[in-house]
Amino acid sequence: MSSNSNRSIGRAFAFRLGLWYAGLFIVSAVALSAATYVLLARALAAQDHDVLQSMLSRYAVEYQRSGLAGLQRVIEADAGQGRHEGLLVRVVDERTEAVYFAAPPGWGEFDLSPLDAPSVSASGWATLGGLPDGAVLEVGSVMLPYRVMVQVGRSSHVRDELLGRFRARGLEILALIAVAAVAGGFLLTRAALAPLRALESTVRSILQTGQFDARVPIRDSHDPLDELGARVNEMLERIQSLVSGMRGAIDNVAHDLRTPLTRFRNVAEAALLTTDPERAREGLAQALEEADRVNATLTALMDISQAETGTMALALQPVRLGQVVDEAVSLYADEAEDRSIVLRSTVPHDLRVDADHTRLRQVLANLVENAVKYTDSGGRIDISASAGDGVVALNVRDTGIGIAPEHLPHVWDRLYRADASRTTRGLGLGLSLVKAVVEAHGGRVEVTSVPQQGSTFTVMLPTAAVPIEGTTPGTRHPVSGFRTTGTGHPSAGRRHPARR
Amino acid sequence: MTEAARAHHDDRVRVLIVEDDRTIADFVSAGLRQEGFAVDVVDNGVDGLDLAQSQPYAAAVIDVMLPRLDGLSLVTAIRRKGVTTPVLFLSARHSVDDRVKGLQTGGDDYLTKPFAFPELLARVQALTRRGQGAQEPTELAFADLHLDRLTRRVHRAGVPIELRPREFALLEYLMRHAGQVVSKTMIVSHVWDYSFDTGTNAVDVLVYRLRDKIDKGFEPRLLHTVRGVGYVLKLE
Repeated sequence: MSSNSNRSIGRAFAFRLGLWYAGLFIVSAVALSAATYVLLARALAAQDHDVLQSMLSRYAVEYQRSGLAGLQRVIEADAGQGRHEGLLVRVVDERTEAVYFAAPPGWGEFDLSPLDAPSVSASGWATLGGLPDGAVLEVGSVMLPYRVMVQVGRSSHVRDELLGRFRARGLEILALIAVAAVAGGFLLTRAALAPLRALESTVRSILQTGQFDARVPIRDSHDPLDELGARVNEMLERIQSLVSGMRGAIDNVAHDLRTPLTRFRNVAEAALLTTDPERAREGLAQALEEADRVNATLTALMDISQAETGTMALALQPVRLGQVVDEAVSLYADEAEDRSIVLRSTVPHDLRVDADHTRLRQVLANLVENAVKYTDSGGRIDISASAGDGVVALNVRDTGIGIAPEHLPHVWDRLYRADASRTTRGLGLGLSLVKAVVEAHGGRVEVTSVPQQGSTFTVMLPTAAVPIEGTTPGTRHPVSGFRTTGTGHPSAGRRHPARR
Repeated sequence: MTEAARAHHDDRVRVLIVEDDRTIADFVSAGLRQEGFAVDVVDNGVDGLDLAQSQPYAAAVIDVMLPRLDGLSLVTAIRRKGVTTPVLFLSARHSVDDRVKGLQTGGDDYLTKPFAFPELLARVQALTRRGQGAQEPTELAFADLHLDRLTRRVHRAGVPIELRPREFALLEYLMRHAGQVVSKTMIVSHVWDYSFDTGTNAVDVLVYRLRDKIDKGFEPRLLHTVRGVGYVLKLE
């Protein structure tokens, strides 16, 4: 219903646009033709006038030089040379008698009397009607001494005929132009509105199907309508990622919370049914732990989903990467020491990245936790960083159990664990959170691994554009040329002396 | 409000709780009463506003989502009336924006649901102490365990104990909250200054090491684990 009315509105719009186009086109063609016609008519009239005028002047000069006889001679010579073709030539003396008269054939019944009217002879120029074909006669008169008058006239017939032909052809051409204008108008409007129509049909298909897969076709013409289509596509892309992110989050929540909730329910039930108060207390404590796990899972899932859909609020500021790394190292130093794992960082303290401090700490804590978790006793974990091209690359290299090639692409997936037994503690969300948060920062993550030899997780983040306040220039490294190996920062990789 | 009027004359620290979830309100008020606080509980924003204006409270625990008048509006209203009672907001949402909004309105601290009671208690104690401007002693003692915050020396029953900085920080924190259970989250936040749940067992490792130093070879045991909740320094 509404789409039908939309379509008819669209058609009316196209019709109106086409009509405007054709109308403007026709009006300008008519105006141009009319102007041409008027100019042509004037030019022709002026030309005729000039011919008569020059002839009159010549006769007047001749008369003054050689008198009536001379004039007569010249006129007859002109007539002999055919210069009077189509002209009326008349010489009249004071008694109003025609001394000479010549007129084109076919003017026989032409009434000459108006030529003698005082108004005609006095005014110099006169226009007389009554010629065959409705043409007019333009007559120029010149009064010479001794009341001799010379008159030369020309019928407008020739130029009327020319203009008539012009008019006829002109109208034909105008008719063709009008047809072309109307047709062209509609074709052009159609073509111009095609992107809008495509946009409309894309939006309609999304509205009807609820699927955000449809995209506006783009023709790469870079015109405003194409740009609009491209922006709409970007918007759809964004909406799709948000929607699928939310759908994914809900699916994950449903799936991931069911297991701990089941355990929660089971231990609570067992605690309720037991008669041993000690076991009941134990059950309650377990229930509490499961509840905390549900909460932690929920928080992590929401964080991942927010980071992935771009709705995570990030307070970006220059952050000292080395410091954040050391904090993460300190969180796991005791555990690493207990298991005889060497955990050290060579990340310079003045290496800066643009990041949300809390989120970056979370990323680092998760990376180090992951490395510690999968490294056997006696292994080592090295954290290093290098900068260049506006990007800081942070490497967490461990000598752990490694990741088999078939698992490697999935390590960033939510809840993916290479060990099917799921004996390792943790939510299985740490690396997904790392990836989501890093990508929300405009960075990216990589992993390489050799099974049984170890893995290297790499996080690439944009270098801070603004220096941290209080950083003295002397302690700042140049952007390139960081030591990625070697001694590193004195406070990095704190190893406490063995206890006495 | 006869109970409130009666309680006005005793010298217990008085806390207002505005929470519409009955279970949470009971949980919090029972816990705080057990810790020696006098507690008034109301279940909606309008009653909360009335009480907060009519009585001087040492602290208020206010849920953000409340019937009749939400928590943020309630705090905005009492602050406009010049009430400076420190406020701890409770909310089910955890995003940073909410936190900022809560603190800008005049709330002094923020706790997201679900929470462990020790965390709420620690925050309420911090808020009520802030009101009184109490000075913390430089020397802490619990049973035969002594800790000097200036010299950073620790000894038990006269025997000096060597502690690493993080072990010292943990012990100091436990001694300051002696008799109270502190959660892992509180320890992570205090010792490592991490504000989020790290999923680490660093706390277990650290507690294990500390226990090894302060309890091994001494009687009785002081550092106890409360399964599922946290750790406590107490005499059994």
